[in-house]
Amino acid sequence: MTAAGVDPIVGAALRTALALLFGWAAAHKLRDMAAFRAAVSAYALVPAGALSVVSVLAVSTEIGVAVTLAWPSSGSLSALWAALLLLIYAVAVAVNLLRGRAHIDCGCVGAAGRQPITWALVVRNVVLSSVALVTGLPASPRSLVWIDAVTLVAAVAALALLYAAADGVLAHAPQLARLVADRHTDDHVEGAHG
Amino acid sequence: MVEALIVSNLLLWALVLVLAAVVFALVRQIGVLHERVAPAGALVGRSGPAVGTTAPRFDLTDWTGLPRQIGGPRPDGKSTLLAFVSPTCPVCKTLLPVLESVAHAERRRVRLVLASDGPRAEHEAFVAEQRLADRVYVLSTELGLAYQVGKLPYAVLIDGDGVIRARGLVNTREHLESLFEAMERGVGSVQEYLTREPGNRRVA
Repeated sequence: MTAAGVDPIVGAALRTALALLFGWAAAHKLRDMAAFRAAVSAYALVPAGALSVVSVLAVSTEIGVAVTLAWPSSGSLSALWAALLLLIYAVAVAVNLLRGRAHIDCGCVGAAGRQPITWALVVRNVVLSSVALVTGLPASPRSLVWIDAVTLVAAVAALALLYAAADGVLAHAPQLARLVADRHTDDHVEGAHG
Repeated sequence: MVEALIVSNLLLWALVLVLAAVVFALVRQIGVLHERVAPAGALVGRSGPAVGTTAPRFDLTDWTGLPRQIGGPRPDGKSTLLAFVSPTCPVCKTLLPVLESVAHAERRRVRLVLASDGPRAEHEAFVAEQRLADRVYVLSTELGLAYQVGKLPYAVLIDGDGVIRARGLVNTREHLESLFEAMERGVGSVQEYLTREPGNRRVA
């Protein structure tokens, strides 16, 4: 990466990984639109009459972003869309956390799907959003060689695996917290009996 | 020199991918362990009326306008499975058929009451879609407040004498069955069962 812009392979790897993420998210939502609509409704940010429209709009934007991000010459517009969509999700989660409605279903793809919403999700979306913005920066041109193909494929695979792993860690955090809390209560109860 | 760097780079990528795969596999294993370690029974919150106490009595009208008594002794001696659900809770939709099948299997000794709250208009579509008009469906904010229901779907098992025998968050058939198990064994919750006898921890 130079001051002139993002290295083309770094940009391409991030774009492809984001495209996969959006494609996966859209596929997950399409499989059960009713559940997604229920999740949107639980956020209590959209009037009941607009639920279907907003749900369909969110999924179609995800598909559009996934397709255009994967397209090499799509420019920075799809990156901006991706960043915007991720920020909207972050704001929706943050608003509900501030309202004290942390129990609602995230409606996200992956392991965090049926987990309560947390600030970690907000941070994750903001980070993803900045990554999307970075991919929208102009690439610094250089001649590509065969090893760039290896870098691209390997980097996308590694990003996907590590993202899924990080997502899992995030999703397990509330369960872990509960286990730690239970452990303390158990000690207390046993202590009281002894 | 360049050849050495290329070899080193390819080798490093291979190692990074193996490492990422191992991390991913480990996280999945942690997920499985969490599922195993977590009590298979319904998770009982620390708030709300305790198991073994008398259930508060409510005289409510159900969706179809019929009067329904929840809590208090029942002349037919049947237990009440009070299940809190909501149109906005995705798990509730998957649990409703399970509730119905469990209620049907236990119909000689249990009646099923589905409870929710909020304005009636928000429930019209839900009732029609899930065919709840044939069921006992009550809307009452006070009922949810009395049991301090936080997370849904939440179930309370009240025996024929109006005593709370089990309660907790129910996400699966196993959770639901654990409530009946708790009633039969006279144990309030899986958590109580685990803490009562140190040996039980291993069995569970």
